[in-house]
Amino acid sequence: MSTTVEEMQQRSNAMTAAELAGGTESRATVGDVTVADPRMVCRDVDVWYGAKQAIKRVSLDIGKNEVVAMIGPSGCGKSTFLRCLNRMNDTIADCRVTGSIQLDGRDIYDRTLDPVSLRAQVGMVFQKPNPFPKSIYENVAYGPRIHGLTNRRAELDELVSTSLQKAGLWNEVKDRLEQPGTSLSGGQQQRLCIARTIAVSPEVILMDEPCSALDPIATAIIEELIDELRVSYSIAIVTHSMQQAARVSQRTAYFHLGDLIEVGETNQIFTNPRHKLTEDYITGRFG
Amino acid sequence: MMDEPVPAKAVTEDLASGHLVQRYDRELAGLRGIILDMGQRVVEQTRAAALALIEGDAAQAYRVLDREPQIDYLSLDADEEIFRVIARRQPTAVDLRIVLALFRIASDVERAGDKTVRIANQALALGAAEPEPKEGPDEVPSAELRVLLRGLEEHARGMLEQSIEAVARFNVVKALGVFENESALFEASARVRQHLGQDGAVGLRPDRILCLLTAAHALERIGNHASNIAEQVIYVAEGKDIRYRNREILIETLRHGHAF
Repeated sequence: MSTTVEEMQQRSNAMTAAELAGGTESRATVGDVTVADPRMVCRDVDVWYGAKQAIKRVSLDIGKNEVVAMIGPSGCGKSTFLRCLNRMNDTIADCRVTGSIQLDGRDIYDRTLDPVSLRAQVGMVFQKPNPFPKSIYENVAYGPRIHGLTNRRAELDELVSTSLQKAGLWNEVKDRLEQPGTSLSGGQQQRLCIARTIAVSPEVILMDEPCSALDPIATAIIEELIDELRVSYSIAIVTHSMQQAARVSQRTAYFHLGDLIEVGETNQIFTNPRHKLTEDYITGRFG
Repeated sequence: MMDEPVPAKAVTEDLASGHLVQRYDRELAGLRGIILDMGQRVVEQTRAAALALIEGDAAQAYRVLDREPQIDYLSLDADEEIFRVIARRQPTAVDLRIVLALFRIASDVERAGDKTVRIANQALALGAAEPEPKEGPDEVPSAELRVLLRGLEEHARGMLEQSIEAVARFNVVKALGVFENESALFEASARVRQHLGQDGAVGLRPDRILCLLTAAHALERIGNHASNIAEQVIYVAEGKDIRYRNREILIETLRHGHAF
């Protein structure tokens, strides 16, 4: 059944009124949240921090070999949602996640599932590069070693080399692998963190504003890398840069006050969004 | 016809305003202002060029030729402003459509302006041509042809005026009005062609017939440019590229607020 934009706007206005009255109802998402070939399937995800609801019944698929950008104003829940995808919110006291999140058909909140191995399958790159205070080599080798992927030096060497190559950093660091990771520039450190994530063979890479601490050149290198990584991995990226979302992603999801307002092909979202809230945000009309 | 329902947003909102950065609003308003200025000047040029042609008023023709460069300069200003907005603001969504549409509209307005020059030149050529032989008509154009040309000019100028008004607030109703006048424009143009094509009936020499046909064609083209402008207004307001769409279906769809 199709819904006109006017109807959706009326509905969203009605919801705003409900919120003002103290309600916490969720808004219907505009656009198709499903994909033909999903890697992760999230359904009716609610997240609570104590009594405060941060995410309201969000459903979204993350497809294989695609980059999904999550955008929205500060406090809209996009990072909270991202952190649900590898159970990073488990570490926060009072945080409660309900609904269903599946990776390759398996519920990631299943009690029998080890969150540490989940975080190898669903890796994360943060806003600020956070290399371990170890050598460049050890930064990459650490994950495979603790996950028991390999302990043999020759295999580790190979893995470190391959991961650094995939992260586009190999040529810059191959002659100084024993130097501290923190000796690298900001952009190089971020690529080291991406190499570290890749080294444990993830299926999904989550990126939380990975370029916000980088200059335009380092940003361009990371964006190019994201495009290359898409061939092997699924990527979900939170970004405050509209242009970055438009450049790197195939689909874009717009969050607002904990609701997933609209999902669509990135081209459609940035040329002709269907929801007024999306349009107001991406055109700078949102107060 | 005009009082039928249309999507509310198309007539109530100014789609180019409301940015958090108010300077952005002013930049878009300034850009649109240049194009509206161009449009109003071309409407006036059309009126003057038609007077020159129909009434044989050479002074009006020279005025059209004198004023044409101002429209060209304004189109350069519009281009410059468009590049500046793109570089500075990287417009998205409705703003991107506005900037793209204004770019195309500026081009159509400028080309409509060129048509007025063509008409003025034909008017001057008619005036400068050697008198018709004795058996020819007393005046060129004849009273009957003047009526037909006046009708054509009113349709063309009316459409242009309406399209420029539509741009002022990206008003879908006014844009639809332009489309609704298209058939009348084509009929008026066909009547002029038919009249001039009658075998020996108008008693004019071929060079004069050619001048009049060229001018009539230019008038029709001004109406076509108005339609192109109206298409861009729909593109901004509705987010759909409707070029090359069936007009009747389009009007019906938009009038009743259906998705298309």
